[in-house]
Amino acid sequence: MNKPDYAEDTPGKEVILMGNEAIARGILEGGVIVGAAYPGTPSSEIIETLVKIQKFHPHLILELSINEKVAFEVSYGGAISDLRSVAIMKHVGLNVASDAFMTACYSGTRGGFVVISADDPNCYSSQNEQDNRYFGPHALVPVIEPSSPNEAKEMMKGAFELSEKHNSIILYRTTTRLNHGRGNVTLGDIKTSGRPASYERNPNKWVCVPSNSRVMRIELLARLEKFSEESNTYPFTSIKLSEEKVDGKKLGFISAGVPYSHLVDALNHFNIIDKVSILKIGMVYPPPTKLITQLLEHCDEILIVEELEPFIENLVKQIAFDAKIQKPVHGKDTFPIPGEFPVGLYLEKVAQFAGIDYKTEELPESDIALPPRLPLLCPGCSHRSTYWALKKVEQKLKIKTFKSGDIGCYTLGVYKPLQSMDAQICMGSSIGVGNALAKFQTEKEPVVAIIGDSTFFHSGVPGLINAVYNQNDLLVIIMDNRSTSMTGMQPNPGTGVKITGEPGNRIILEDLVKGCGVLEENIWIEDANDTPKMLEKLEEAILARGNGVRVFISRHVCSLLEIGQWKRQGKKTPVVKVDPDKCVGCMTCIRQFGCPAFVEIEGEPEQDGRKRKKSSIDPDVCRGCGVCVIGVCPYGAIYFEGE
Amino acid sequence: MENSQGYNILTVGVGGQGVIFSCKLLAAAALEDGGNQVRTAETHGMAQRGGTVIGYLRFGPKVSGPLIHKADVMLSFELSEALRSIKYADSHTSLFVSTDVIIPPSVYTYKIPYPEQEKTLKYLNKVTKNVHLINAREMAVKAGNSKTLNVILIGAMFGAGKLPIKEESLKNAIIKFVPAKAKEVNDVAFKMGYEIGQKIKEEFYE
Ligand SMILES: Cc1ncc(C[n+]2csc(CCOP(=O)(O)OP(=O)(O)O)c2C)c(N)n1
Repeated sequence: MNKPDYAEDTPGKEVILMGNEAIARGILEGGVIVGAAYPGTPSSEIIETLVKIQKFHPHLILELSINEKVAFEVSYGGAISDLRSVAIMKHVGLNVASDAFMTACYSGTRGGFVVISADDPNCYSSQNEQDNRYFGPHALVPVIEPSSPNEAKEMMKGAFELSEKHNSIILYRTTTRLNHGRGNVTLGDIKTSGRPASYERNPNKWVCVPSNSRVMRIELLARLEKFSEESNTYPFTSIKLSEEKVDGKKLGFISAGVPYSHLVDALNHFNIIDKVSILKIGMVYPPPTKLITQLLEHCDEILIVEELEPFIENLVKQIAFDAKIQKPVHGKDTFPIPGEFPVGLYLEKVAQFAGIDYKTEELPESDIALPPRLPLLCPGCSHRSTYWALKKVEQKLKIKTFKSGDIGCYTLGVYKPLQSMDAQICMGSSIGVGNALAKFQTEKEPVVAIIGDSTFFHSGVPGLINAVYNQNDLLVIIMDNRSTSMTGMQPNPGTGVKITGEPGNRIILEDLVKGCGVLEENIWIEDANDTPKMLEKLEEAILARGNGVRVFISRHVCSLLEIGQWKRQGKKTPVVKVDPDKCVGCMTCIRQFGCPAFVEIEGEPEQDGRKRKKSSIDPDVCRGCGVCVIGVCPYGAIYFEGE
Repeated sequence: MENSQGYNILTVGVGGQGVIFSCKLLAAAALEDGGNQVRTAETHGMAQRGGTVIGYLRFGPKVSGPLIHKADVMLSFELSEALRSIKYADSHTSLFVSTDVIIPPSVYTYKIPYPEQEKTLKYLNKVTKNVHLINAREMAVKAGNSKTLNVILIGAMFGAGKLPIKEESLKNAIIKFVPAKAKEVNDVAFKMGYEIGQKIKEEFYE
């Protein structure tokens, strides 16, 4: 393997890195030893990059943990052993980790400890748009936020010293465009060694019992007080005051993170960057109170540019109130709360604030409707096969299951044509929510919880134990594609491979299920792509309602991984075709099954001279899984070539 | 590249077409060229599963944020995707559009027909005079590999004088990014694209 730029030991070299690569590089330069993560867009590439770095810098101890809470705890364990440590997750991951996080901050740390939370304005790949800056005041820890890939690296590197200085956890918050955007990064020195691991036996500090926690809470608040002071001199926070006026007023801007980078572009665009005052904040919590006061005193009117909640705005208004400064402070009266800001919005709002006449060229009107390109289950995806079988069983039994869904690729089953999900909130919720739903099920509307293998390991297990314990008569389908596919095909305990590629111990899913107390006769394991068998066994499982908790493991490796396996084995991809003579153009394959390999074509003229619409298979898209060959076409028009 | 917004290139298409690959390659070329701040924003994750993919690339001495307001150039790997991202274009934008058509299944499930090429072009031409339709897939197949579609488009953009980067920087980036065994095909593809680009330059930009 070629040494990637981010693993190179060439300080001073300028390279282009993706934000997540820059963060990983910062972790390397910061002397981290322990890194633990659970994947989640837009954070996943950080641990993946660290794994690539580890090939050249084997001092790194990395793991993909079972969920974010455990990832946090693993890192925390490293940190209280005096090693620099990092826990990596997406924003909602911090909710899972928050039980540990909210109390770990009382004890603090020994080795520098940084928690990365990757937020996702616009929900590009997320179930919600929460703003994790609020975890700062909630847990009483500092929150830092970079505004460019280079700053992401530098800030990460510096965060460990900052953490050690006050024995505090640091929350490092990013947003999608930082994680998934590239920029110039200047490589620095790599730090491979630190203090050796050691345990500190001091129960007063490390055991959070009430008598200790009361004391530590006071210390925690005192630490925050120190950060509050240092926020004003934080190296990634800067203030620039201008004496000039724009539109007759001294204008001030406050911003942080990616919005700051776009604000700079907008100010440059209007050529007013030297005429306005700007406070760029690197540590958004606790806020740089002195600098904010300074800006408030200096300027006539202030605009706060931040995506999502009015986090900085509310802090600024609080500070203005305490300092008895009454000046117009704008924020969410100008910019929206939901979503990501397009560049045009920065231009429009900055122009409006600065009294500049600005109009962007309007697009000519269009009456062309565009078919949406929604994310899809891949061709050959075994989740489609499972949903299809479930649909067929429902049709046969004249029932409609209520599908308590979960998060993973299989969530895409909510879209047309499968429309196979009725409720879903967060990872593991399918079984948790299903516990109650099952209490109200009827013969016509039985309840099914649908969950992926990685998600089951992540947070499905407690719900299953709960169902067994409380005798909630739930059917759980585990869609076991031997992969954490939605976030980039990371391994999981069921695959027995570690994130580093080394073999780990494999957890046998069915043994785990049995261990949760599900009776042997209530467990089915079938190949998701074997439709006839699936139909028979799924029917059995549904009709076994009343027998207690049932688990149906629908197993078939992720299609994207199977392609690779076939290639390595030298297996030829079977060719699947539609026989135009048998195809009557009912389009069941397209409108109900919905594999993207099917396309509508115009058939040859028939006896009556008319051309009819037919289905056909695009050989470039087809994966050759053959699931459509049996049980999809009512006219048997789909076949394997050569059979 | 005179203005503070730098030079802005938008690459758009469908997951799996090499859209992000092109964005990365051009970013590397812009760095190699020297003196540039380079920024990109890229679609990763769930949307890549058959969805629209966008790569934003900006470079110039002062560039700061990753997203684009109006692109100097838009490389569209797929016909309808040019329309979907048209909000990033104005009358100054050069559109290099591959005639490639990838029908989204929503055409069947949501019953919204795929827009006709003629209508699409008519609209694109209303937005900007500089619309360059390229049979990139056909050319890529002719070059020896349909995967060189992206290099054809990059070649065309460069040939048309719409990529303010030194040829050497671009070539070096291509060498760095394409696998060694595919170098020859990519050379051929680049040349084919370049020639088309030169014709576009004569017709539109001289
Ligand atoms: C708390 C939390 N962590 C991480 C994620 C990101 N995420 C979405 S789906 C998924 C895993 C999906 O794996 P699996 O259940 O095996 O289903 P697959 O995608 O393989 O079908 C993850 C980690 C999330 N949405 N919420």
